[in-house]
Amino acid sequence: MKILVALDGKFYSRGIVKEVARLSESTLADVVFLGVQDSETEVSQSQQMVLHECQQDLYSYFRPDELPYADFSLEKWQKIASGDWKVSATGMKEFTLRIRSGSVAKAVVDVAGEMECDLVVLGCDLKHGCDWDGDMNVPLRIAEDAPCSVLVIKQSGNTREIVSILDQSEVHQEAIEMVNQLVTLHSADLTIVGVQEKNEDKKDQMEQRMVELLKYYNDRAVSAWAKVINSAMVTDYVTESSQNAIIALWMGGKQSLLKRLFSHSMVDKLLNTSKSSVFILR
Amino acid sequence: MLKTLLYINEDLASSIALRFTDYLSRFVNLSLFIAHVEEPDENEQVGTGWVRRTWEDGVASSGKRLVDRMLRTENINCSLAGRPKVFVGEMEKEMILELRNGFYQLFIKGYLDSANPEPFYDLISSSLCVETSCPMLVVKNLSLSKKCALLCADSVDPRVLVEQSMKVVGESSFEIDIVYFKFQESSQVQILDRREGGNNLGETESLLAAAGKTVVNTTVLTGAPEQVSDYLKEYALVVSTMPKRKSIHIHVLAHSLASVLLVRDTAQK
Repeated sequence: MKILVALDGKFYSRGIVKEVARLSESTLADVVFLGVQDSETEVSQSQQMVLHECQQDLYSYFRPDELPYADFSLEKWQKIASGDWKVSATGMKEFTLRIRSGSVAKAVVDVAGEMECDLVVLGCDLKHGCDWDGDMNVPLRIAEDAPCSVLVIKQSGNTREIVSILDQSEVHQEAIEMVNQLVTLHSADLTIVGVQEKNEDKKDQMEQRMVELLKYYNDRAVSAWAKVINSAMVTDYVTESSQNAIIALWMGGKQSLLKRLFSHSMVDKLLNTSKSSVFILR
Repeated sequence: MLKTLLYINEDLASSIALRFTDYLSRFVNLSLFIAHVEEPDENEQVGTGWVRRTWEDGVASSGKRLVDRMLRTENINCSLAGRPKVFVGEMEKEMILELRNGFYQLFIKGYLDSANPEPFYDLISSSLCVETSCPMLVVKNLSLSKKCALLCADSVDPRVLVEQSMKVVGESSFEIDIVYFKFQESSQVQILDRREGGNNLGETESLLAAAGKTVVNTTVLTGAPEQVSDYLKEYALVVSTMPKRKSIHIHVLAHSLASVLLVRDTAQK
């Protein structure tokens, strides 16, 4: 598993490091910390500093004998392309610091694709709903365009419920496991909500997905509650649940009902109105 | 042993019901029978005499394969007291007949919990529920708890609740709690003083003591039904008397994520 963490020097970025540390510990993940800057020619000292400090924060959550990552010095930054620098250290798992120039959302989406990440994690400022350094579009564009799952962490307080909403689309093992890890990390209850369509075939497929998920979680001693809602209720249900619970939305392919229901504006609304983290699963 | 009939189909609700029944069997000594009804479309139904019997045999065989698939997939540990029973016809009608003729002491059926309470009201008012005299366990979720709650309220007859529920959980190893519910429109569930439970609560406790059961916790709750239902998540099952009409009580049961055991006054049946 590979986790890409988008970071800047703001408090909302620093606040997510602990959760990333717990997630990387439980999944034994390769981790990439990504900072984005304007200049294409020279790597920013302040960006290097931010990433290095966050990396040190993350390392400090591990006991020295349990740290799966090797230490590295800042002198080893390498320019890998125009406006693209990185430094890596390989222990049992790989830890990479990377700085890219350009727009934040595009850089995150591009790096996630290029490095074949399984998960993108970022924080956001709650002041105006969910923004990144004053730009409301950054979390939304990443959530929408990333080729993998995206976790937007809105608060580091302990959430006691994770509401996982799915349709008939196929669910991937990595995403199932990520939800499992979130449940464990937060000692949270898991509610699996199936969105029903009138089409009987799709209804059966959705139920089959729920059976698979329930079995998976029950086998791991995770208590999972099952619930179904009809498609007309989904947006209200999600909005209401997001006040107290982390919402995990399974966005499938072209046939995905949720993808159709959660248009650009609905994901935007969810990110802005949710009081808890939002997890877009792919 | 409690002679129990579990209805299954090939769906999520039945998958959960099978596993919950398996879990339940660790606490309650069950003599478990499984039934399935193949409901053919009206257009499919053919002929009379041997033609019809041959057709019915074919449909029943397909039902048997379905039950075998379910049992194989769910791989439950609880042993069955007999071969699975497969009927051809209307589900409710066939189950009512089987329950009546088989003298079962408990009927279990899966129910997919929904944010919309209407399907639960439909189930409660269905002929299957109305005409079945034995307790009915509506399995909503696989709640791996060792606790069972008796749901008490002003509208609940303590004698029916205790006498009938003890027929199912009386010999079980479940920890028994009493949850007394008082409706109040509020944004949060509040736990009230025990004295707020009134006479019904005292009578329920006395009847349980007389039945030799120790109540571990008694909680008097007030709040909206949805919030109280959320509180009930910590229980494997919630025992209630069968609500007679749409009420706040039924609303609590409809929203409960935990499975619901419905008991009724058999003397009135």
